[in-house]
Amino acid sequence: MKRHFFEILALLLIGGSLVFFVQCVDYLSRRDYVAAIILMFIGLAVISVGKEMARLALVQKD
Amino acid sequence: MLLPGLFTGSWQGRAILIALFPLAVLGIGIWRRIESILLLGFPSALLVPVAAAPEIVASYSALRFAMVAIGLIAYLFGASVFASFYEPVKPVSSRQLSSASKPQPVRWRRRFRVYHGLAILSVVFPAVILYAINFNDSNQAFMKQMFPGRAGSFAAVVNLAAIGVWVLMYSTFFLGTLRPHRTGDRDLVADLARLRRDARRAKPRPLFYVGVVAALAFMLLLLISQLK
Repeated sequence: MKRHFFEILALLLIGGSLVFFVQCVDYLSRRDYVAAIILMFIGLAVISVGKEMARLALVQKD
Repeated sequence: MLLPGLFTGSWQGRAILIALFPLAVLGIGIWRRIESILLLGFPSALLVPVAAAPEIVASYSALRFAMVAIGLIAYLFGASVFASFYEPVKPVSSRQLSSASKPQPVRWRRRFRVYHGLAILSVVFPAVILYAINFNDSNQAFMKQMFPGRAGSFAAVVNLAAIGVWVLMYSTFFLGTLRPHRTGDRDLVADLARLRRDARRAKPRPLFYVGVVAALAFMLLLLISQLK
């Protein structure tokens, strides 16, 4: 149960980080570079949290 | 270099010596079999005639770029093989090792697949980057709009920056990944042991908390910057 919870959370976080990266590209095309850089950092932070969740899911699997 | 220069009339008088300079470098490289001259010296020497007579590359179409790129890649592969291939002295007698008759281990087949993949990517990456800078219509239009009258010079700077970034990427992510694959690498063994230890811990690492705090802080920053 715990493992599935971590897996879903990891998927959501990694998928959610992609939304931030897409928004980053959108802001770049609108020449709003500051917002784009902030969004890129949000995406990187969210993907690192998702990666950690995926690791915890793997530990539960073992 | 020679033909476009002859066509545009750039190699008149002593200027022909500049056009022949890369050939001289190539000749020395072949004669002495020096890898650095063949793989770096000759391709760099090709830029000397271009610097002396830029009009010979003024009207490069995407097709000509592709032909030159294929020619350069073929040359680099050929020169690499030529520089590393030495005919060994014929032995008096020879005996086949017992391992030579066995099929190639899976790990070696996998490693060769990785090598081939890296060779293909090291061709594709710089070609795509250079194409995007020099032949993509929207990028060209953007450069002309942002730097009217200086778009050519700006493109040259961006080309140099792209080559620099590519060399950095190649040494860090391509060669850097292959380097620790050597058998019995002590640093790699220590790293793997640490990773195994970390993986067994069923608690989030400090990186998790840093990620959460950073994400929230950047979201707040974005909100404040957009509200202003």
